[in-house]
Amino acid sequence: MSEQFVPEVLAPAGGLDKLKVAVLYGASAVYVGGQKFGLRTAADNFTLDELTEGVCFAHAHGSKVYVVLNSFLHDKDLSELPEFVAHLEAIKVDAVIVSDLGVVQTVRDLSTIPIHVSTQASTLNVEAAKLWKKMGATRIVLGREVSIKEAGIIKRQAGVEVELFIHGSMCMAYSGNCVISNFTQGRDSNRGGCAHSCRFEYSLDMGLDTEEKKKAFFMSSKDLEGLRVLPEFIKEEIDSLKIEGRMKSHLYAGTMSKVYSEALKYYAQNGNFLSDDLVSWEAELSKVSHRSYTKASLVEKADATSIFNERENSNENEWQMLGTVVEANAKAGIVIEVRNAFNQGDLLEIVPFLGPAILINANEIVDLLMRPLTRTKPTTLVRLPYREGVLAQHLIRQKVH
Amino acid sequence: MKITTYAQNLHDLNLIKDQGITEVILAHKNFARFGKLSTEEFISLSSRAHEFSLRVLFEWDILMTETTFQEVIQELPDLIKHVDVLRVQDPGALHWAIHHTDRPLQFIAENGNHNARALKEWIAHAPGRMERIILSIELSKAVIEEYVQTLTVPCELLGFGRILLFYTPRSLLSPLAPEKLIQNEEILALGESEESPHKGFPILENRHGTFMFHIKEFCLVEFSTELRDMGLQYFRVDLRWDKMEHLKILKSSIDNYKTEIFDTFKDEYAQDLMRGFYLVNKTDVLFPKLKNHRLQKREGHYLGEVMDAEKGSHLAISLKKDLRKSDKLKILHPKGKEFEVEIFSLRNLSLEDVDIVEAGSVALIQYMNGVWVKSQVFLA
Ligand code: SF4
Repeated sequence: MSEQFVPEVLAPAGGLDKLKVAVLYGASAVYVGGQKFGLRTAADNFTLDELTEGVCFAHAHGSKVYVVLNSFLHDKDLSELPEFVAHLEAIKVDAVIVSDLGVVQTVRDLSTIPIHVSTQASTLNVEAAKLWKKMGATRIVLGREVSIKEAGIIKRQAGVEVELFIHGSMCMAYSGNCVISNFTQGRDSNRGGCAHSCRFEYSLDMGLDTEEKKKAFFMSSKDLEGLRVLPEFIKEEIDSLKIEGRMKSHLYAGTMSKVYSEALKYYAQNGNFLSDDLVSWEAELSKVSHRSYTKASLVEKADATSIFNERENSNENEWQMLGTVVEANAKAGIVIEVRNAFNQGDLLEIVPFLGPAILINANEIVDLLMRPLTRTKPTTLVRLPYREGVLAQHLIRQKVH
Repeated sequence: MKITTYAQNLHDLNLIKDQGITEVILAHKNFARFGKLSTEEFISLSSRAHEFSLRVLFEWDILMTETTFQEVIQELPDLIKHVDVLRVQDPGALHWAIHHTDRPLQFIAENGNHNARALKEWIAHAPGRMERIILSIELSKAVIEEYVQTLTVPCELLGFGRILLFYTPRSLLSPLAPEKLIQNEEILALGESEESPHKGFPILENRHGTFMFHIKEFCLVEFSTELRDMGLQYFRVDLRWDKMEHLKILKSSIDNYKTEIFDTFKDEYAQDLMRGFYLVNKTDVLFPKLKNHRLQKREGHYLGEVMDAEKGSHLAISLKKDLRKSDKLKILHPKGKEFEVEIFSLRNLSLEDVDIVEAGSVALIQYMNGVWVKSQVFLA
């Protein structure tokens, strides 16, 4: 069989720990934010030292690191950028993700770092991609309104790498085209201050004769999920498959990286998805909290079925992350950093970097000093007996509903 | 400072002509977000505008995926003959217009583009063709003044009209609307939410998607003298959702502002008015509060974080750097209190006494009164 095109799996990393999780679980690239210039103001984000460590870690594992500089910067913000860009160049980040032309030019002037145009720029067509390419972009993160087919056309006709979202929460607006927070809450959504007003329930007066108003979460989008259309991404040779969610959990970063990279590996080896694994990958995706899934505009224009007309958090997740394996060897046992409490006798799932979950009955839990426990407490370290195949950084989850 | 505005029909055009305005924006329904004109209507209105010696600006401000782009450009050659200028917003439309037309160009930089560097680059990208930049209404007056004075092409600013808050290509109202409304070219609604203090957001769905506007309209008429003195060249008035007859009073107030007259107008005007961020834009001041400052201290001598603490027994620290028994530590409590610590007990996770625990692992040192989990640890 001829060499199969395999897109990059680009995972979100809201902090250094999450970067490591994403890389170890198979992401071929991660995107991260520094303390400034990105859109996730409330995220943990990376200090300069952490960025350096993150890049070293990712490169040592064959993964790339892209740094988001995707705020719509004002002049005063722009003046602080050169120092940061110099640091990014020095530590050899693989690209920066930019939405503002002023930032593109600043990065171009000061460095040779490849420039990816952010989805915030809402690049939707061949002509726009050609223009950004002339401005210095090497890759375009296309708007979420672009179909996979259109993305393929843009790649071929503009001669530029393309990246498309495959999974995660979605802005209902054209990215960069919503200023609800700016004008109603005094927080610039295009500099990281979005207050998620599109997730509110609204009463709508449509001027009907009746007094009754329609109540609906009419501006809220379901979450994107593109697993079943992976062959289309491959067929169109989409360079990078992006997973949304720098604010999301370690379990999310790990699960998404694992599922999409395993699925792509399977396809590369077999040239198809005629596999029972497809069902198990889908089951894995449902084990992280999410709104109902939609393919949005990946195949056809997003229609009414893409609206998430429900209150946030009403979709309680069945699975909960319990913690992370800190160390695992015969002497120390499986040392777990506990995030959510579990009980003696509970059935735990340890998520390995590759392959199916390892099931463990927590019959013998001890604390760090080897004293037996019947229930763990969050933010403590506990031990389970050692089990072959369990490694440091493995994530642990449990079915709770 | 000139006024620019929209005409949706001949009546509007007559009012514009009567006010001595020299240009008009025409919005075709397939190219403009809120356009209503069919090709026939567009061509007819455009020729009347030319008879009135008005310059015709063609508004092409929709955002387009490739499929839509290919559809709409089929119609353009017929329309372009009838216009003097193209106003574009999608960078794809800008690129196409540069290469496939010879018309002067105006770039709508209302979305983002809050730095001079970006604006200069857009202008430089269409040398000799870019005749105007339409600035964002999120800019404060100090910034507007700077741009007006430093950019090499004239600037335009919305001075009166609706504030567009949200634009999606998805149809959000029709799934909720009864059959009789779905037949219409556009569906309108007023929205309010218990989670927002504002009531009555105008919402519109049409062939291009769904749009939400602010409950108040934008008005810089009070500042028209100041804007003229700054050198702003074009002041846009958008009355597409109001009475076009207001153009007269607006024109006279913009040309020669009189407080009493305009105050009376404001009192009688159907909507509340606001000046947005004209005096100052502080939409980033809340950001430092959204951050956890403790998390931002992880630089320099940062060693790691306390993961487990047991009174009288131990502190377990996740290590970013090697830790030696001879090291001295500074521990920062989540609430800000600092502790100096000398290590006299150092163990690894196998509970073995050691002289060094390597980076990436967890070290156990003696307990220190008052230190909690999540405290940050630094090499002193
Ligand atoms: S409010 Fe919703 S649509 Fe607007 S920027 Fe935030 S997430 Fe996007």
